[in-house]
Amino acid sequence: MENTIKVERAILSLTQDDLAKKIGVSRQTINSIEANRYVPSTVLALKLSKLFNKPVNEFFKLSEDD
Amino acid sequence: MNFKKVSECERTKLESFLDKFQLPNVFKKVGLTVFVLSFLLLTVIKFIDGEPIWLKPALKQFMLVGLLVISISKEKIEDELIQILRSKSYSLAFIIGVIYIMLQPIFDKATDFILGLDPQPNDTGYVQVLLFMLLIQIGFFEVLKRNR
Repeated sequence: MENTIKVERAILSLTQDDLAKKIGVSRQTINSIEANRYVPSTVLALKLSKLFNKPVNEFFKLSEDD
Repeated sequence: MNFKKVSECERTKLESFLDKFQLPNVFKKVGLTVFVLSFLLLTVIKFIDGEPIWLKPALKQFMLVGLLVISISKEKIEDELIQILRSKSYSLAFIIGVIYIMLQPIFDKATDFILGLDPQPNDTGYVQVLLFMLLIQIGFFEVLKRNR
């Protein structure tokens, strides 16, 4: 799974900490998601979708090995 | 369907029930204090003669309680990644605990054989096993948390 959370976050001028607070997780969790070390749950993905005002599949994409 | 309902769909009743077993983050320090004090007292009474017979088992129980309180205390931000890491640490502690129980008598016998000692009866008690498993769980959880 690949994602463009970092880009979306930059568009909204949010730091990792700001984004974390907005969706109720820790900054380390945002860092893990951005680094593709952790794939978030559907709930978290939908929270991000609501915040970015974009469908989930616009910033989460399956990689070739998925 | 609003976000709260979506969130509720993902959580089973059992998960909600398990959440009630968790203590607030402040209890982590309480647990650590109980564990350290019990450990220190247990060390001190080794050098003192004539302590009450109930003191040693009681202090071991307090050590267990301290570790259990640390183990079930929430993090400052208890999010889904932390819950996954916590689950992984419990799985690892369980598996390593079982391996420890299976291998410990073999190690004891091997040590006795190598040192030429008479074989001693296996005295692996539940306190020792639980202390080991809780320490492994807390240790792995901290390692996983740092490497998340």
